[in-house]
Amino acid sequence: MTEAELDFEVDPEDLEGLAPPSRELGGPSLVVDHLDITYRVFGGKKLGTSENAGSRSLRRVVGRGSGHVGAVQQIRAVKDISFVARHGESIGIVGINGSGKSTLLRAVAGLIPPTSGAVYAAGEPSLLGVNAVLMGDLTGERNVMIGGLALGLSRAEVQERFKDIVDFSGIGDFVYLPMKAYSSGMGARLRFAISTASTPDILMIDEALATGDAAFREKSKARIDAIREQAGTVFLVSHSLATVQAICSRVLWIHEGNLVMDGPTDEVTEAYRQYVRGRAKKR
Amino acid sequence: MSGTTAARCGPRPRAPTQERVPPHVTASSHPVAPAPATRGAKSAPAVASPPPPIQSTVTSEELRALALASGLERMGVRPPLRQYLSDLWGRRAFTWELSRSKAYARNRNNYLGQAWSVLTPLLNAAVYVIIFGIILETGRGLDNAIAFMVVGTFIFRFFEHSVTGGAKAIRGNTSLVRAIRFPRAVLPISVVLSELVTLGPALVVMVVVSYASGFFPNYAPVPISWRWLLLPFAIVLLAVFNAGCAFVMARWVAVAPDVQNLIGFAMRFIMYGSGVIFSIQHFVGNDVVARVLQHQPVAVFLDLCRACVLNEPSIPMTWQIWVWAAAWAVVACVGGFVYFWRGEERYGRD
Repeated sequence: MTEAELDFEVDPEDLEGLAPPSRELGGPSLVVDHLDITYRVFGGKKLGTSENAGSRSLRRVVGRGSGHVGAVQQIRAVKDISFVARHGESIGIVGINGSGKSTLLRAVAGLIPPTSGAVYAAGEPSLLGVNAVLMGDLTGERNVMIGGLALGLSRAEVQERFKDIVDFSGIGDFVYLPMKAYSSGMGARLRFAISTASTPDILMIDEALATGDAAFREKSKARIDAIREQAGTVFLVSHSLATVQAICSRVLWIHEGNLVMDGPTDEVTEAYRQYVRGRAKKR
Repeated sequence: MSGTTAARCGPRPRAPTQERVPPHVTASSHPVAPAPATRGAKSAPAVASPPPPIQSTVTSEELRALALASGLERMGVRPPLRQYLSDLWGRRAFTWELSRSKAYARNRNNYLGQAWSVLTPLLNAAVYVIIFGIILETGRGLDNAIAFMVVGTFIFRFFEHSVTGGAKAIRGNTSLVRAIRFPRAVLPISVVLSELVTLGPALVVMVVVSYASGFFPNYAPVPISWRWLLLPFAIVLLAVFNAGCAFVMARWVAVAPDVQNLIGFAMRFIMYGSGVIFSIQHFVGNDVVARVLQHQPVAVFLDLCRACVLNEPSIPMTWQIWVWAAAWAVVACVGGFVYFWRGEERYGRD
């Protein structure tokens, strides 16, 4: 399995508006203060014990390092990250798989409580993730209602926007089928449409755009721009550098849970690209 | 996650890119987490490697001051109880929609669909009636053992499902918890509500079957009574009690998933200790033990529901039993809710 999975494919549609519109930035909308996230993971071997685990058979059965009984390990996914985001800014987060991007995003959205440090945000962040299946057994219609209510809309507001949401997602009559019958792209599109149904102060997108087709990408970029227009802040985690370059004005590079680079899109993506090429060659 | 990649990269040589703090960044980050010694052993050749972590120059105090000056709110902290309650009330439409959808989704994959929400408890009751009532004759001391067992199994099932469902409320919905922010108490509550929704039609069947059992020879009739009208109130009290249990279980299992394996045993213990299919009074000789068993919450609720539906001389409708039931419901719900709320900031991290 390669960790350096990267999407170099550049669609002409993405390149058209390559430079994200620059605009006046407002005051801080998000302050991340020395954030640290430690996970507990059940099952699986303790890291670094594989060499000496086989020495004693008893230890292998009952020992803590064996992975059969009491296998709990602490994983420090985000290590002491601090940054400040401003209103109207769109920030990309890049890094190889498993570097802690999604965890950082969730913590910033207030979904994973920090182990230490703090996150301060203006308003209610809305996270949009590929993995955030709402309820697969239920129809898209019901999921629109649940998702909308969960985001804090009222029942009437959701009903009012229902048609918009379905139209935007472009899934048509599939909305009346259970979500488990959807293709991954359809699911992602519906989730995107739900999450952006109310204009969030902070929108966080976790690799969701990669699944859409070109036409959908165009639409979603327009919507993201609209959110930024209203002085919102957008975070985007993506493996597609083309998407990051098209949307973001600033990029954070996360590596092994550390923030290793923070700067304008071109500089960071260029450095990151070189790093990933180097890794790919090494293998 | 990140630890696995860490082992292979080894110590990093100086990065090709210059470390810099862009002008528009107000605060950047700080020191490297010291890598364990074992990682240093596998030294990698000088290939492309990421720049070292950005050194932080800004202290927590400065960041906090900046955040507060800009009117930002701190995320991921447990709100005070009063605010938590009002947040929860604000999400009532969401809670209700979630409960309804769950109740509906449960039997969607079957041909008979929603009919199963009535058929399952009915078959369940039939098993107990045949084995215990007819073959083992545990119905001694009762005028109508069939009705007694049917009410017992239907009501106990509501309790059992609320507790087992509540146990999975956080852990089974991790993707939802990690996707959307809302007071997590919504989840255990919606479990109990969705059980309540499924119970509705089952209750009608329960009463009808109890009534019909009175026409069997050797079983006393179950007359139509004004007391039937009290059943919904008894069920509401039981739902409140169940919610309290669901809160406690949800937190336990969120912290230690192993607890889930013990629930089955605990449930069997409670089932036999509450006289679901036999009369405690008649079978437990020791007076003290019988009293304790009869006043523990599940037995109280079973008796309360039976007093509403049946016409058993040994289970009279008294005001004491209502007081006991109400007290258990309030104690469980308030205690469970506070206990659950105190763990709020932890849910979703594991």
